[in-house]
Amino acid sequence: MNWHKVLSLVLWITPHVLLGVLVVVLCKRRLYRQFPVFFAYVLYEIAQFILLFALYSIPGAGKQYAYAYCATLLLSIALRFGVIDEVSKDLFRESQLLKVSARRSLQCVTGLLLVVGVLLAVYAPGDNSGRWIAGVSVVNRGAAMVQCGLLLALLLFSRFLGLSWRRSTFGIALGLGILTSVDLAMFALRTAFASWVAVEFFNLLITGAYLVCVSIWIGYVLALELKPASLTVVPNDNDNAEVETWNRELQQLLKH
Amino acid sequence: MEQGASTITQALISQTQTMIAAWILVAVALFALGILVYVAIRSRTRRVDLEKAVQAFRSLDIEAFRNLVDSGEEAFLRNNLSPKKFREIKRQRAWAALIYAWEAGRAAAALAKIGQAAQRSPDPEIAASGVQVAENAFRLRLQTIGACLHLLTEVVLPDLQSPSLPPLVDQYERTAETLFRLGRFPSREQGLVRPKSA
Repeated sequence: MNWHKVLSLVLWITPHVLLGVLVVVLCKRRLYRQFPVFFAYVLYEIAQFILLFALYSIPGAGKQYAYAYCATLLLSIALRFGVIDEVSKDLFRESQLLKVSARRSLQCVTGLLLVVGVLLAVYAPGDNSGRWIAGVSVVNRGAAMVQCGLLLALLLFSRFLGLSWRRSTFGIALGLGILTSVDLAMFALRTAFASWVAVEFFNLLITGAYLVCVSIWIGYVLALELKPASLTVVPNDNDNAEVETWNRELQQLLKH
Repeated sequence: MEQGASTITQALISQTQTMIAAWILVAVALFALGILVYVAIRSRTRRVDLEKAVQAFRSLDIEAFRNLVDSGEEAFLRNNLSPKKFREIKRQRAWAALIYAWEAGRAAAALAKIGQAAQRSPDPEIAASGVQVAENAFRLRLQTIGACLHLLTEVVLPDLQSPSLPPLVDQYERTAETLFRLGRFPSREQGLVRPKSA
């Protein structure tokens, strides 16, 4: 067994062992109630690994492995969208106004990104051999772009609106963001560099990024939630009045 | 022979396109990754100076803003200045109003943070006040986007005539009324409250 194979196996197995640790932490802290989709996603990733690793270990099961890989990848993509939705719901949970307006804006961003993703899948040059496995790769690339864009939009929204993240929610978003951006880059490069050596190298990078992502999840889930910021100053009635006045002034200005 | 050369050329073009598309996507991904890492690092090191944020908001002069967007003033300037001078002044007024709106938006974002922090306070009175402050601040932040776009249009197209604003005194009165209803949080030393917990 050469060093490359050892490294590949280590980078493939380790994140899934860590995902097991994450499941334990999520259960102990009862965070599965708060993030049921994320919890399901983590469980699913572990199950997917067990299936794929079993197929990988069976000699001559290469075709079955490829089928299983593609099928499980598609479900994994769908679950990631669910996790992003869960993160956004948690982010806007405290404001009735944002639950409606910010989520509507996010839906618009999603629509836009989906259009770009579909255009990318249709027009971006790549492996045009028509093989279904290449098709799955293109779908994954498009999905990675949409998911990465959505997570970036969430970060920008929160920064722009002054929203506070819960540590665990931020950790989930950050880990997923890193994973999807690396996925996007690697699946894009795969279309340009299709040699065996290049593909193996990209696989190493993807699994390495996955390890980083899982470590971030564990780190943020394990870290204690920060206590509410100690308030040295609280806006009083006058401040609230000023905010109201500004609101009304701008509303009038916009009615022009 | 010619057909062969054409096929090779086409293959080369296709390969170049593939490369360009791939590198563009890599650049986009790296950009996204950079932002994510930056935000993660900033969120660890950055502490919002709440007191400063409130002071910044209090320092915004609503009267000055009102004067800048007053349609009566605008009509007066339109009638008494040459078109060229009017456009110049209108641009300056709209730009100044835009800066006010932008700063109000930034201050609103900071106030929203305070409101959210207050929302998590164990004191139900502070928590209720926090909800109100945060909601108002979010509304203001969202409105400033529209206002900034509107004012930017006026900077670019100063000749666009806008209809008159309804009397502002009424709005003040209505605001004051709302405030009495909102006034659940006791005013202490001009809004300054000492820490409840470390």
